[in-house]
Amino acid sequence: MTCRFIRLLPLACAIPATLAHADSGIGVDTWRGNKLDPTAGQANEPCDARGTTWLAPLQRRSPTGNLYNCAPESPLAHEIGEWLYYGVLQVGYIGTGDHDVASWNRYADWRNGDPVLGLLQVNFERPSDGSYAEVRASRISSDDQLYQAVFGRAGAYKVQAFVRDMPNILSTNAKPIWNGVGTNNLTVPVGLTPGASTPAQVAAASAAAPTTTLGVKRSKQGLSASTYLSPEWTAYVDLSEEERKGTRAYGGPFFFAFAFAGPPFFLNDGGVDETVKPINDSTININGGLRYAGAEWRFDFSYSGSFYRDKYTSYNYQSPFKLTALPAVPGAIAAPLYQGQMSMEPDNDYHNFRATATRKIPWNGEISLSASGGRMSQDDTLIAPINCQGVFGIGFGNLQLGPANPLLMDCSKWNTTDALSRKTADMRIDTSMVDARIVLNPTREWSLRGGVKYDRQDYRNVYLSYNPLTGQYGYPSENGAQGSIVPGELGLWDPKGAPSALTRVRSLPLDIQTIDANVGADWKFDQKNTLSANLDYNRYEPTNRERSQIDASRVKLTWVNRSLDWLTLRVNYTYLKQTGNTYDFDPYEHTFSSSLPGYIPPAGGTPSHTVDAMRKYDMSSRDENKIDVMATVMPRDDMTLSASVRGDWNSYDAQIGRQAYDTVGATLQWDWQLATQSSLGAYVAWDRSRLGMSNVQDKQGGSGVDPSLGGPNYALTGQWWTTDAQRDWYAGLTFNHNIGRARFDLNWNYLYSRGLTDYSYAGSSALAYPASVSDAGPGGGAFPNMVYRVNSITAGVTVPFTERVSLRLFEYYERGRISDWHYLGFDQGLVVGNRVYTDTGPQSYKQNLIGMLVNVKL
Amino acid sequence: MDLRRCGAVVSAVLASCVLVFGATGIGRAQQQRGDIAKSLPATNLSSEKQIDASLPPPAPGFARAHVADNPQTPDAKPVGMKTCVACHQLEADHFTHTLHSLGLIAANKSDPGIPVCEACHGPGSAHAQNPQGKGLIIAYTKNGGTPIEVQTKTCLTCHAGGPRDHWSGSVHQRNGLSCSDCHNPMAKFSVEGSMAKMSINDTCAQCHKDIRLQFNRRSHMPLPEGQMSCDDCHNPHGSLSSGSSLTSFPLAKTNTVNETCYQCHAEKRGPFLFEHAPVRESCLNCHSPHGSNQSTLLVAPVPFLCQQCHTQQRHPNDLQTANSLKTGKNPDERIMGRGCNTCHANIHGSNAPSGSRFHE
Amino acid sequence: MKTAAKRAHRLDRTASPRAIATLLLACAGANASAADFLDQRRVEPIQGDVAAGAAKAVVCVACHGPNGNAIVPTFPKLAGQRAEYLHSRLSEYKHADAKLPYYAASPMPVQAQALSEADMHNLAAYFAAQKPMPSPTAANTPPGETRGERLYREGDSARGIPPCQGCHGANAEGGPVAAGDQYLVYPALRGQHAPYLSARLSNYRAGWPYRASGDYIMAGVARTLDDESIQAVAAWLAALPPQEQH
Repeated sequence: MTCRFIRLLPLACAIPATLAHADSGIGVDTWRGNKLDPTAGQANEPCDARGTTWLAPLQRRSPTGNLYNCAPESPLAHEIGEWLYYGVLQVGYIGTGDHDVASWNRYADWRNGDPVLGLLQVNFERPSDGSYAEVRASRISSDDQLYQAVFGRAGAYKVQAFVRDMPNILSTNAKPIWNGVGTNNLTVPVGLTPGASTPAQVAAASAAAPTTTLGVKRSKQGLSASTYLSPEWTAYVDLSEEERKGTRAYGGPFFFAFAFAGPPFFLNDGGVDETVKPINDSTININGGLRYAGAEWRFDFSYSGSFYRDKYTSYNYQSPFKLTALPAVPGAIAAPLYQGQMSMEPDNDYHNFRATATRKIPWNGEISLSASGGRMSQDDTLIAPINCQGVFGIGFGNLQLGPANPLLMDCSKWNTTDALSRKTADMRIDTSMVDARIVLNPTREWSLRGGVKYDRQDYRNVYLSYNPLTGQYGYPSENGAQGSIVPGELGLWDPKGAPSALTRVRSLPLDIQTIDANVGADWKFDQKNTLSANLDYNRYEPTNRERSQIDASRVKLTWVNRSLDWLTLRVNYTYLKQTGNTYDFDPYEHTFSSSLPGYIPPAGGTPSHTVDAMRKYDMSSRDENKIDVMATVMPRDDMTLSASVRGDWNSYDAQIGRQAYDTVGATLQWDWQLATQSSLGAYVAWDRSRLGMSNVQDKQGGSGVDPSLGGPNYALTGQWWTTDAQRDWYAGLTFNHNIGRARFDLNWNYLYSRGLTDYSYAGSSALAYPASVSDAGPGGGAFPNMVYRVNSITAGVTVPFTERVSLRLFEYYERGRISDWHYLGFDQGLVVGNRVYTDTGPQSYKQNLIGMLVNVKL
Repeated sequence: MDLRRCGAVVSAVLASCVLVFGATGIGRAQQQRGDIAKSLPATNLSSEKQIDASLPPPAPGFARAHVADNPQTPDAKPVGMKTCVACHQLEADHFTHTLHSLGLIAANKSDPGIPVCEACHGPGSAHAQNPQGKGLIIAYTKNGGTPIEVQTKTCLTCHAGGPRDHWSGSVHQRNGLSCSDCHNPMAKFSVEGSMAKMSINDTCAQCHKDIRLQFNRRSHMPLPEGQMSCDDCHNPHGSLSSGSSLTSFPLAKTNTVNETCYQCHAEKRGPFLFEHAPVRESCLNCHSPHGSNQSTLLVAPVPFLCQQCHTQQRHPNDLQTANSLKTGKNPDERIMGRGCNTCHANIHGSNAPSGSRFHE
Repeated sequence: MKTAAKRAHRLDRTASPRAIATLLLACAGANASAADFLDQRRVEPIQGDVAAGAAKAVVCVACHGPNGNAIVPTFPKLAGQRAEYLHSRLSEYKHADAKLPYYAASPMPVQAQALSEADMHNLAAYFAAQKPMPSPTAANTPPGETRGERLYREGDSARGIPPCQGCHGANAEGGPVAAGDQYLVYPALRGQHAPYLSARLSNYRAGWPYRASGDYIMAGVARTLDDESIQAVAAWLAALPPQEQH
């Protein structure tokens, strides 16, 4: 622990000496717990057998009607001079299976037989001036631990430091074939020749590869402080630094394998490599600000900064597979490419300033004005367009560069950053926001409000894909592989050699402007009822998108009813209508070579970008109806029933694209406070969502010029539809009971999720493989169910031995069954033709964990 | 030193200290429960200030604490904490180790003109004479008889501004929530935040159980594991977000969806050399933030998620069936495993000059 | 008061062997209360047989006077008192630890030991049904603006004394039952003997007894009282005529 706190020193030096801070207004790190106790120690606190008050039975209810928790026992404090202290230490062992499974270990690093520090919490208080200090720690393993220390004086200042490690296990059954996993250089193992191995050889290497765990550990340390400068002025600052280290399954394209596996080629060609991305980065976040809260005025000035640094700019990998030029072209030879590259996320800087001024006004009102300005920028060194040696592309008869081989390119003119139009990225987004709002409460019955908000993201700079060494525009596609397999598909345009090549030549700046205006009123028409209406109009103006203006109008109605003593009812209904100006299905032409002077359309014309009937769901017109009913029912003094029903129906005006997205759900929760120290809770819930969409297959092999749906390329017979229906059933039980001084706790959670994706199509030409579809009836079919079913039970008993020492024994059993059709058959081998996968996919599991923890009140 | 060893050593040392302490019952005076409240001086609310110069001055945060205004009892007089505690001993006992108690009691000791209980509950004389009378004290409970607006206004007397700057007009305010629906400062019900339940997440789940249950799904943020809270993304006290814009979401802590996500996923911030338009617009275009039965919080299974927008010619617009899975007749990388992302791996944006299609 | 608090605290914590034994009880579905005090916060109206109570009351009247109108002012008047309160007090005595100072000095624990639950119901019902008689001294002290009355009605916030009427009724007729059944055990005070009231308050102030949840309330209240205040409020209450029977 002390060792990790050393990492805080640089942060400590950066923090102004006078000035812990995690609040609901700014920043993250509002909570630190772990799977052993997500409440960070509170669940360990026994209820006070005496109850909450001598004056009334049981606990009181919150204004909504939920019973408050039982009051925990007051600590038994010791005195040292002016200070009081008290604390808890919980240490012990856990025993669990040695077999790690990603879903079980995802965010909890259980380790069999390791000692665990369930909780160390020590509090110090000095009643004479309200000073306090607190230390809290919990440790499941070296990858799953938290330590924090706080000191301060109530109403004066607070300083907090923390260190936290958090696991994120992504796969425990990965079998990467490469050497160098975790680094930025992945090489094929001995026995494989990069760019020249057969699927059988790769399959053998994959089978022989050791099973590896892929995952990321987040290690974070933070320091924060807040202080009162006067009764009105407060200041705060938080600094945190987080390192992420680990690995995750990623991609690696050497062009399609699927396209050549069947007729007419029957070739193992292309290369699909599920590589392993190294994660090794660090982020520093800073939040700081000044706040003033006076009788009339309030001010809030804040700064947020974030600085992301990645150890790597890119990683390289070797593709084991052999590339073959399409045999349709006589004498064509593919360049023997195998070196792939993947850029990492660029280092970036972020700054944001915000200021808010609020003033009390007549009619018991407030007027508030906020403005913020920010910038996110990166200027990472760019990598070369390709990292091959020799040549890429296709040679005819040989791989000699020269006029006889116009489709063959010299790697040396592309594998250098001299081949770039500029050496660094130099990208930036400037953000600005102004918000003004007013609230008036002229009478007790009425509340009125209104507001406007203006928000902009200005995207600075555009990158041009131009190689000054060759005069070509565009980029070598898929590590050069595409142009080495398909003659001419190099991804390069030049006015002389390839004036008709269609390729991306420019980046896409995405400026956004949003204007929002809203008015609303609440009417408390009697003491027990409130009706509220809100009207909201939003104009969203993106650039370089299918629409340059999207208008959303929303009306939201709320009814809160407390007429009955035993019921609090909240009903919310929202209707939203989104429309916009003309939908341009191809706003991207300026980013393609077809926009360059000297571009000559191919013989049949420039292929259309996409089908004209496509309506992307963010841009499309949409009607939404949403209802939300929440009821808190108090059938008896000691019981609460909470019920909610929610529905959200979205209908999209799209022939092609997302057409509907509906969700409906209901929950019912029952809580019964049997006695001061005994409670029983149970819930059941259900939800369902349906996402319907349509797409259309093209018929002209990529050369279709006509974008119209129903035209020769996007014929109606190629249209198809899918519906993804998700259903979840949830149930659970919580029981806490004291018998004598022994505390029993039982917790059961159950979830059964079932996803069913079904499809239908107008004609078999819609299908990727019309000839061999076997699982579908005429015109439609479905994927196997996607299932996630988890049964989780924790049962524990805490037995006190003395006033201060108790023993907690618990058993945590969990069974998870997962079926994801994406990974069907992966357990039988991870190589399919010229494709090598790394992750075997999610696994079902059955795990049992036993814990024994000694609990000592300090 | 290796961190694991470090942690283990520290734990062991602490454990032995504790066991020694615990076993011998060290000879220090032990603070009995409730003693602090009992040893209080009577609060002097009637006359001019009698500041005790031997004590530090009241902390600035409590220096202006005064008897709360209860519009339902205009004639009531403050009675002082000692009077309250005479009957409410158990409450005082539980209250003792909260931050409010520490601050108010210390302030009251150095300046008896600063109330403790009555800073929040208003003057107590009417209630003391008729404890059953509704609204005679500012109550923060279901049947206490104090209007919600009086409750929230009282809390905001000290807690105005900052994260609560936009409470007025917020969705929780409009739905008639009181501070005390989520907070209960009368005892240490949570380790932080004076929450009404054991954690922030448990507190939100009182009403938003459906959302909480979404975190039980196959892919989720580490919220059930206690590693984060609802408050990391949402400000329940109100925010500037309208919720109807494509780039905003309800009770956002930042100006946009993406700025919220970037707080933990800073690598996604870029801006990248090549951007993916819906990614820059809102992470929620593809991700379901509270949990999903797909991998990585996706809204729908790949490739269909992508095919909602991608109808371009050639490979994106084919209808894949189970026949394209590894167990089918035509295994296809466009749907197996990570599907589209196997090749378009840098789907959040690429900084490679050859990454316009997110291949590199 | 410190010792009392500590004792009270220890009462609700017992050692391990019993706890382990209760583990087994748990499995059998046995239900035991963890709280080691008589919880008066959940009270239900009690019914009893007045005639049977009268038969049992023969012993009681020796001290508590004919029909529960005690003559000796150190013994409380029981006549017209609330049955639930009387029952609750008997239960307290019956389950009291006779070694504790308060109970050691009282003959009641021994008396209560012999009573069955039904007996206690009957006795409570019997005394509740009796007509309270004014104290011989009562008529001589006309009610008026005395310190006792002020304390009863308003308390004294300078000393931290809460008004008694909040729990014992505006007219000292007992807790306001309309506001909840828990008030059934808040006794009527009017017309009660002053020496008895003074003794109870003094005992509470000393931290005795600590047996029922209500005792914790009264102990807290009594700690705010000095001797003079106790005398004043007791005298004023004693001077009030007993309430009319309904």
